[in-house]
Amino acid sequence: MKRKAESAMKTAASRAGGAVRPRARRARLIVRRLPEETLVYDLDTSRAHCLGPVAAAVWRHCDGRSSAERIATVVRKETGAEVGEAAVMVAVDRLSEAKLLSAPLPPAGRSRREWLKQAAMITGLTVVSITAPLSVEAATCVANCATRPNTPAGNCGAIPCCPPATGRCCRQGSGQNCGCRTSGSCTA
Amino acid sequence: MNTCMANLGKLDWQAGMGFTAHGVRVGVRATDASVMGEIEARLPTGWKPRANPLVDHLASLVVGDRERKGNVRKLHVVYSGAIRAFRSTQLEEALNFLEHHLEEFVAQEAPDRIFVHAGVVAWKGRAIVIPGSSHSGKTSLVTALLAAGATYYSDEFAVLDERGRVHPYLRPLRIRDTDDLGRRVTAAEMGARSGRGSLPVGLVASTRYEPGARWRPRRLSHGESTLELLSHTVPARFRPRQVMRVLDAAARPAFGLKGRRGEAAEVAGSLLEAME
Repeated sequence: MKRKAESAMKTAASRAGGAVRPRARRARLIVRRLPEETLVYDLDTSRAHCLGPVAAAVWRHCDGRSSAERIATVVRKETGAEVGEAAVMVAVDRLSEAKLLSAPLPPAGRSRREWLKQAAMITGLTVVSITAPLSVEAATCVANCATRPNTPAGNCGAIPCCPPATGRCCRQGSGQNCGCRTSGSCTA
Repeated sequence: MNTCMANLGKLDWQAGMGFTAHGVRVGVRATDASVMGEIEARLPTGWKPRANPLVDHLASLVVGDRERKGNVRKLHVVYSGAIRAFRSTQLEEALNFLEHHLEEFVAQEAPDRIFVHAGVVAWKGRAIVIPGSSHSGKTSLVTALLAAGATYYSDEFAVLDERGRVHPYLRPLRIRDTDDLGRRVTAAEMGARSGRGSLPVGLVASTRYEPGARWRPRRLSHGESTLELLSHTVPARFRPRQVMRVLDAAARPAFGLKGRRGEAAEVAGSLLEAME
């Protein structure tokens, strides 16, 4: 019974993975290969990503022609990790979410969850992402936001408010007064 | 020169000066010469006077009325270039804003340095870098590390060169007790030494104070440590290529730890032990 289920799962994964021939995005990215990981900075979204060794290897081999199975074979040889088709599909899914593929993946339905289960023991599949801060976000905070004048840009400086206040110092409504906004951007 | 700048130029500027800090040329002027001493005391760390009037940025302080005169009171106004950036009835607030504005401008524009918001101390020839935004507890942790014998480098910026080495940014520590602006205390007043030369990074400690939290950090990889630094890098969006190169170089010889912490004194010892 168990073997039957495993076999069905593999077939489903194979069917879905075989149809996918992901192509890595190359334009407007800054890529730095570290000894084990790969750092990618996306100039379009101002997001930075740290790809684990397996995810990075999968990304490098997404050429738009190779199937998940083919990529798994190459990555297995390259990294020495027990990478199967499921692990490749998990990596591809994460790369797609990080907008590091040239086209988004077609919806995969249930099989994506199955891949996650199958690849649970594989390390190096991580894709950690952050948004690079605006200089004002990296900056120190503003106390007494309400006493600030609005700026010509109309966003009161958009500097984070100092605790105990939270959020960012933004214009309140359509007036000229500033206040700490806890959600959304100052322009929203 | 645009119209706004030209109109601003018509004001009666009583005093001004130029300075260079970390390769950035800045001019400051005021409508009241008596405030220049206070402005000078607030210039970015490492500034040097500049005779050449050509600057990259001009900040101006229009000094208003220090006391109310009848029903009208002229505000103190800070201009960033031609843009009105801040106004207040309190001169002290305007001066503090000007200080912050000049510091952030230099941090963003310094051509050969990458400024990361972080506390920095040295221990046995390597730097402990504590990236974090304001009120994350950087200064408390730096203070605790100094009390444990570390050498002071900065409580505000890790200033990194092209090789990823940290340079001292020796402004007085800003210790917040009840006043949000904080009182300023030098490392010497705390009985600590201040660093002089550049150092390689030994530890990136990403931590945030939470009352009652226990320090159980997880180890960060080289890439994750780089991202932690990037999250607090001032020119991250302006010069991403240079930023990535420098942060990679900074994190390469280091290891990273991340976690919530309780009292700073309890964590300081663990951090120094981790550097052994």
